[in-house]
Amino acid sequence: MLTLDVVSRRGGFELRAGFAAERGLTTVIVGESGAGKTTLLRLAAGLDQPEHGRIALDDTVYADPGGGIRVPAWRRDIGYVAQDYALFPHLTVEQNVAFGLRARAAGRGTIAPRVAEALRRAGLVGLAGRKPAMLSGGQQQRAALARALVLEPALLLLDEPLAALDLQTRRVVRGELRDLLRSLHCVTLYVTHSPLEALLFGDRIVVIEGGRVTQTGTRDELLRYPRSRYVAELMGTNLFAGSVGAGTGTATVRTGEGEVAVSEPGAPGEMYVTVDPRQITLHSHPPEGSAQNVFTGPILELAPEPPSGERIRVALGTRPPLVAEVTREAVAGLSLHEGMTVHASFKATGTRTYR
Amino acid sequence: MGEAVALLAGGDAELYRIIGRTLAISAVATVLAMLVGVPLGYGLARGRFPGRTLLLGAVNTGMGMPPVVVGLVVWLLLTRSGPLGRWELIYTREAMVLAQFVIATPLVVGFTAASIQSLPAQLPDLLTSLGAGRLRKLWILSREARLGLLAAVMAGFGAIVSEVGASMTVGGNLRDSTRVLTTAIVTETSRGNLPVALALGGLLLALAFAVNLLLTLVQQRRNG
Repeated sequence: MLTLDVVSRRGGFELRAGFAAERGLTTVIVGESGAGKTTLLRLAAGLDQPEHGRIALDDTVYADPGGGIRVPAWRRDIGYVAQDYALFPHLTVEQNVAFGLRARAAGRGTIAPRVAEALRRAGLVGLAGRKPAMLSGGQQQRAALARALVLEPALLLLDEPLAALDLQTRRVVRGELRDLLRSLHCVTLYVTHSPLEALLFGDRIVVIEGGRVTQTGTRDELLRYPRSRYVAELMGTNLFAGSVGAGTGTATVRTGEGEVAVSEPGAPGEMYVTVDPRQITLHSHPPEGSAQNVFTGPILELAPEPPSGERIRVALGTRPPLVAEVTREAVAGLSLHEGMTVHASFKATGTRTYR
Repeated sequence: MGEAVALLAGGDAELYRIIGRTLAISAVATVLAMLVGVPLGYGLARGRFPGRTLLLGAVNTGMGMPPVVVGLVVWLLLTRSGPLGRWELIYTREAMVLAQFVIATPLVVGFTAASIQSLPAQLPDLLTSLGAGRLRKLWILSREARLGLLAAVMAGFGAIVSEVGASMTVGGNLRDSTRVLTTAIVTETSRGNLPVALALGGLLLALAFAVNLLLTLVQQRRNG
């Protein structure tokens, strides 16, 4: 297991983050550009050193500035796949894959068979003698991965491994990569800004915002109990944060942007309220009826949900912003289009509260 | 013109000594410039330290520095009444190597920095992650950047084998010890021996061309 708890300051940016990653699982680090996820990966790799804190892989301490321990990357048991792959331009695929083994002085006789096996598993056997410039994007990605995996590292670090691929290739490689990562027994850290990749690859998800970890957990935990607007957007759900007085039955949570009627809030105090997009109904006129939360605003975007487009995601420019999921018939029936002002409503019983 | 060809074909011993001296001095200076300039160029390309931009600017300026000015500065250092006068290096081949080294180094640093920067951006980090320590990393990056590094060698050697200002100033153009092709051309021209001067000029061009051809062949063959 990898444990990481660090403070790092570079050029005015401060990263304060801690999490643990288990063997055999893929831990996705997700965040916007500049949130600090690549910094975190580089700290785990040993390419950068933290100012304070501790990084350890099982019993081996990789970094402990307070205790004077700073193990550099070339002494860590890692495999690193960079965003632009960084294959050696003047070496063949086979020489690229063999490089790490040679650098770490693996036994002479073992290098060739290990490289051959790695190439076979990556589907690169016929391309072993080619230079990187002669490979397609997907093949380069597999070569970079093979180069890292042939070392059988205890810690595999992937920096946006699909980012450099075009959409078609990405779709194909995505499935292969997921199967591959599932078969590994090392600690795998996967950095991405893509919510889709986070959901697809993440056995555990670590969310980074502005240099801080705002939430960690499984897919389901993040979906059911998002703790920040970014996480809610990531998961495609709605979130309010506010406070409520004591009570049972229906109560009102006062948020910064208005009041939300919820049911069974429990004890008074600060809480989160989440609303599943499918619980939201859209109306072209203000709806009648009680126990309804109504928010009014323009439609920002209509996006069909894959695979069949039978359901449509509607992004609303309400305060706070909401996401609703409705049927194609509903869209047609109400003649919904971008820019149109609608009233979005949901019942108190359609909300879920937690702390 | 007849004299020019006769001179070249004649097997004049003094001429051969001059040619040998020219090559030796410039070759040694180039090798020294590479030994110092390549690591510096690498550090400049990859380092992030305050004053880096200033240093890059200084290197770029150094690349275009007039050789005669370098010669003057080195002369002032080595002259008998100067700070390094007691080394008695003035008007020696060693002084010429020193001056040519000073001229060639900024060129090597500049070309090396440019070629390192042209590699995939994350290559050095990748090397580290694969287990390469500092020395091995420098070696591998040099091999990957060898096109640019060979260009650095050619630029450095080309600049110093063809310069006359520094060689004349610190070497003194002494017939049996510090006369090289460029300073010999000056001598013959000032004496009015134009055919000889032309022949020497042709020889210098041929020499520079031959060295560059050799290096280009090495560069292009490795690129294949």
